[in-house]
Amino acid sequence: MISLSYQSLSRFALVLSFASPCLLGQSAGTPPQTTNLTVQTPSVPRQASKANTGANTETYPPELVKNGQATFGQNCGFCHGKDAGGGESGPDLTRSQLVSEDVKGNKIGDIVRNGRPEKGMPRFNLPEMDLAAVVAFIHDQKTKAENQKGGRRGVDVADLQTGNLEAGKKYFAANCASCHSPEGDLKGIASRFQGLKLEQRFLYPRDAEGKVTVTLPSGKQFTGKLAYKDEFVIGLKDNYGWYQSWPISTVKFNVDDPAEAHHTLLTKYSDDDIHNLMAFLQTLK
Amino acid sequence: MNFSRPFISLATGLALATSVFSQGLDPAHLLNPSKDSWPGYHGDYSGMRHSPLTQITPENVGQLSLAWAYQTGQVTNLKATPLLVNGILYFTSPDNVWAVDARSGHQLWHYSYPANKGFHIGHRGVSMYGDWLFYTTPDAHLLALNAKDGTVRWNVTLADSHKGYWSTMSPLVIGNHVLVGVSGDFDNLSGFLRSIDPETGKTQWQWNSVPPAGTPDSTTGGMTWMTGTYDPDSKLLYWGTGNPTPVLTGKPRPGDNLYTCSIVALNPDTGKLVWSFQPSPHDTHDWDAVETPVLYDGEFSGQPRKLLMQASRNGYFFVLDRTTGKSLLTKPFGPVNWAKGVDKDGRPIPNPDKEPTPDGRLIAPDEGGLTNYRAPSFDPKTGLFLVSAKPSYSIYFSKPADGAYGWSGADYSVWSKSVLEAIDYKTGNIRWEHELGPGGAGAGVLTTESGITFTGDAHGNALAIDTATGKTLWHTGTGTNIQSSPITYELDGRQYVLIGSGGVLYAFSLPENAVPKTSATDQ
Repeated sequence: MISLSYQSLSRFALVLSFASPCLLGQSAGTPPQTTNLTVQTPSVPRQASKANTGANTETYPPELVKNGQATFGQNCGFCHGKDAGGGESGPDLTRSQLVSEDVKGNKIGDIVRNGRPEKGMPRFNLPEMDLAAVVAFIHDQKTKAENQKGGRRGVDVADLQTGNLEAGKKYFAANCASCHSPEGDLKGIASRFQGLKLEQRFLYPRDAEGKVTVTLPSGKQFTGKLAYKDEFVIGLKDNYGWYQSWPISTVKFNVDDPAEAHHTLLTKYSDDDIHNLMAFLQTLK
Repeated sequence: MNFSRPFISLATGLALATSVFSQGLDPAHLLNPSKDSWPGYHGDYSGMRHSPLTQITPENVGQLSLAWAYQTGQVTNLKATPLLVNGILYFTSPDNVWAVDARSGHQLWHYSYPANKGFHIGHRGVSMYGDWLFYTTPDAHLLALNAKDGTVRWNVTLADSHKGYWSTMSPLVIGNHVLVGVSGDFDNLSGFLRSIDPETGKTQWQWNSVPPAGTPDSTTGGMTWMTGTYDPDSKLLYWGTGNPTPVLTGKPRPGDNLYTCSIVALNPDTGKLVWSFQPSPHDTHDWDAVETPVLYDGEFSGQPRKLLMQASRNGYFFVLDRTTGKSLLTKPFGPVNWAKGVDKDGRPIPNPDKEPTPDGRLIAPDEGGLTNYRAPSFDPKTGLFLVSAKPSYSIYFSKPADGAYGWSGADYSVWSKSVLEAIDYKTGNIRWEHELGPGGAGAGVLTTESGITFTGDAHGNALAIDTATGKTLWHTGTGTNIQSSPITYELDGRQYVLIGSGGVLYAFSLPENAVPKTSATDQ
């Protein structure tokens, strides 16, 4: 699915914050740090790439890989493809950042066991041996995919170079500049995201956080990050990191969703607009 | 014929087996299901999923509460529609069949299919004939199980799972035919619908959706992975077929790719094709046309008509004359951007510029489609076709290096949300919308004669909605996304609504003291 980089980053950030008592203490003691957690995440992949080399040089016994292939096919293949190269709704795992960060299942295991309900991935209750085999299979497929000669399935940065830079610049000025600035919030965006990830991100930034102000009947107001909203309950996370919720029927609220403008553009883009915009955003290194 | 059930006609003309249906399910019962049963995947043959029950009303549904819950103890999401026959519920997940007392929710038996390497993506349910349940397996077998204890009577192979076939569907029983379909999108395989003898497991006939794999310039695909519907008056069965393969690359398979992404009318005794209609000619976006072909006899353009309606995965709502397959109405029910228009026969004309490319194409809806396998419902009183829709955008890629086998490309959903759409069947206009939250909601839809629509939202809330207005009347959080379609039945004078969510089957009813006491249902 979308925004793989974000998924893996946030997961990584989460793991970090719980794995290290020091970090955890920090965020509990100094509340504003919690708010900054997602802002800091772009710097994470460089640290993570150390783990990356470890995972990639790891080899797995053929028997384990073979077992993993069977279990993977049975449980994961429908969404991620039988070869782990992507299928209905699930991303290409051979190009997944999380997989490249994984060492012997320390990341993949988490995802398999807990699922990602918010992304539509169910949790799987696999015995440890099966899980180890699935991990071996995924890494083996990744190695195979990377060593494959010639073109391969998936979207390469080179595939996305059909746009016109000048036209993209114009499109940006006319449609994006009211919220974004190449010298401001988007400075260096092309260094942080490339290719498909950059394109997915500008089409719709799934991790953009909405803000909400809730007004109680007494007139008392609460402001924070929108944390939950269905037809019946609204929840926010305040500046101290505390979650609070109210029945929607008893309060007034106002949501400011910065991603809504991206949704509106989806209804208007031509394919050329997207490729041109890509050409321009790629220059913001 | 009035299709809003019960079916008036009992003359099926189909050969009924000679066995005595003392306690099991007489297939004649499927023509006119009683209120204390839900004997087939769609309840009755029409696919309307509209119940005549009226005990739970818009006025009292606010009191709806938990009657019981059955825990499968598994992490697999229930996607099945339970059967209810003689007070016993039968429902499934991949490799599992359960029999549960519909009054108490306690388990009678549990059958586990041996470990196998088939796709374990989901399961829609069993069907029944006499004393026997029919269960499709992840490795594309069909089992006949004894409904009394879950023991296996016979096991036949539908297709070779090693080639990439699997099966998840609930068979359709018509007379002495058990109709089964198959799945298989990741290999260039041919889809088919097979009629099987309920007693012996022997094949009676097989209809192939496409020419054999390997035929030059031809397509593969056309999987038959959802349950069709049946009109006993015209003696035609209606079935939807899946996408062509290779999935995202159209070049190796020029033309319309019949009969993929099609609705077909077949003779249930012979499997002969009577007519076909193709919602997605030359599909390159994985938009199976397997969503329920809903049958209804009603007025259209001032004339009484025998209608077939489908809210299709490709984003269009189709109304056909089901005696001829001729189009009466084609209209999008959400954002679609892949067609140049609609041709004279009511088929969308695919825009070649919207086929997947190396640099990507922005497509609405996404690959999961504007709707998918969870059932819609039709409410005759309001003339509303209710469907859980997923307005969405995605980017589709395909390049020569992707080859011409299986998936052959890549696609990424960019944005989606869920909306319950109430479509006026006469015009295709949306009469009301009910927002269900971001991403996919996924629950199917049930309507009742008292004017209630049951479904679920993207957060896992089960909802009761006023069919006339779209306003929420009742809700409860089930804990996770609802991936199944609700059903309802009445036992001992008490109406139940069943909703499977996660690995739990929930039964809701009005509190016991709110329901007038009646004697035990005579079975």
